[in-house]
Amino acid sequence: MTSPDLSAGLVSLLPRLRRFARALTRNPHDADDLVQLALERALARAHQLRPDAALAGWVFGILRHAWIDELRARARSDRVFAPEESGQHVGDVGQASPVEMLSVQEAMERLPQEQRIAVALVLVEGLSYKEAAHVMDVPIGTLTSRLARGREALQAMLGGS
Amino acid sequence: MTFSDETVMAYADGELDGATRAAVEAAMLTDPDLAHRVARHRELRARLRTEFDPVLDAPIPERLLAAAAGTLAQARTGNIIALERKPPRNRAWPQWGALAASLIVGVLIAPLLRHAPVEGPVGIRDGKILASGALADALSEQLASNQIADAPVHLGVSFLSRSGDYCRTFTLRDKSVVAGLACRDREQWRLEALAATRPAGSGSGEYQTAASALPPAIEQSVDALIAGDPLDARAEAAARGNGWHH
Repeated sequence: MTSPDLSAGLVSLLPRLRRFARALTRNPHDADDLVQLALERALARAHQLRPDAALAGWVFGILRHAWIDELRARARSDRVFAPEESGQHVGDVGQASPVEMLSVQEAMERLPQEQRIAVALVLVEGLSYKEAAHVMDVPIGTLTSRLARGREALQAMLGGS
Repeated sequence: MTFSDETVMAYADGELDGATRAAVEAAMLTDPDLAHRVARHRELRARLRTEFDPVLDAPIPERLLAAAAGTLAQARTGNIIALERKPPRNRAWPQWGALAASLIVGVLIAPLLRHAPVEGPVGIRDGKILASGALADALSEQLASNQIADAPVHLGVSFLSRSGDYCRTFTLRDKSVVAGLACRDREQWRLEALAATRPAGSGSGEYQTAASALPPAIEQSVDALIAGDPLDARAEAAARGNGWHH
């Protein structure tokens, strides 16, 4: 794919990239920073995009990596963020305080990263399990397990019927 | 028959193969609890979409458009800016075909959004770059044969494209002067090209008029799309009368 074609593709993907980033991080400015970083990396790596590969999936994968890098950098600087997959208690937190209803964004923010990414790709961006597993570079079984746990935790936190 | 949580989830997400899907659907008819589990999954998806979808229609920050068009910084010296400095009239369209119309828009959209961040002349919806606000209104209503000299949008030529859609060139007279080409896309106007024109003189009498002042990039886009001759005043009025549908 030539760079002008890639740029045109990226421009048309901008609304979806912003939505994906907002699902990952609640702060809109951080979300746009993430999109900008992903766009810069995508253009720098244009040669890595295979002609038959889906552009959206490729760029979502780059954005996901940028997000994980960002979290690692934040964890190094202030140790606020727990490492991947350590948030197994999240569902319990929701069940322990059913009267305290969280907003959707607050609930998303409490999900462990890999569950949040799975939920964002499948439920927000509408990717198929296969596409989402490819973006996350994991087998489909891992994707569905993260998605199921993320969903369960969200439902517990958000209440609902 | 009982189904695992993951099977119910996969059903709600449309991920099951035919046989398993039919089994779940059959069971749902007699098992309200199963139907409820499916509904819960779908409600969660709907709730997430309600939360995050509005950003799809939000104005895109200039810095992101600039980042997406990043390579233009290199192309600038070779192509786009050269277009404005010395019109390469001897070049054939195919060379310009490589510069997708949406790319040209992507670069030049930024100043438009800066001037009018809320209801600008251009928006992106469902991946399409569409005219909005006063520009969309002018494209639908204004006739080139009968327009006010200092209207914010000036219409140039209207024509029928090779794919059978009506297209119109226009000039926006904001702080910068921008010209473009839009084609009818159902009830919207889809932008095919957008380019900055040479700054017009400050006096209102020096405003550029009609197609003669269109930047070469727009002229090239017209040449690439037009089928036959531009519409005359009567055909233009008739096209408007028919909602710009052919």
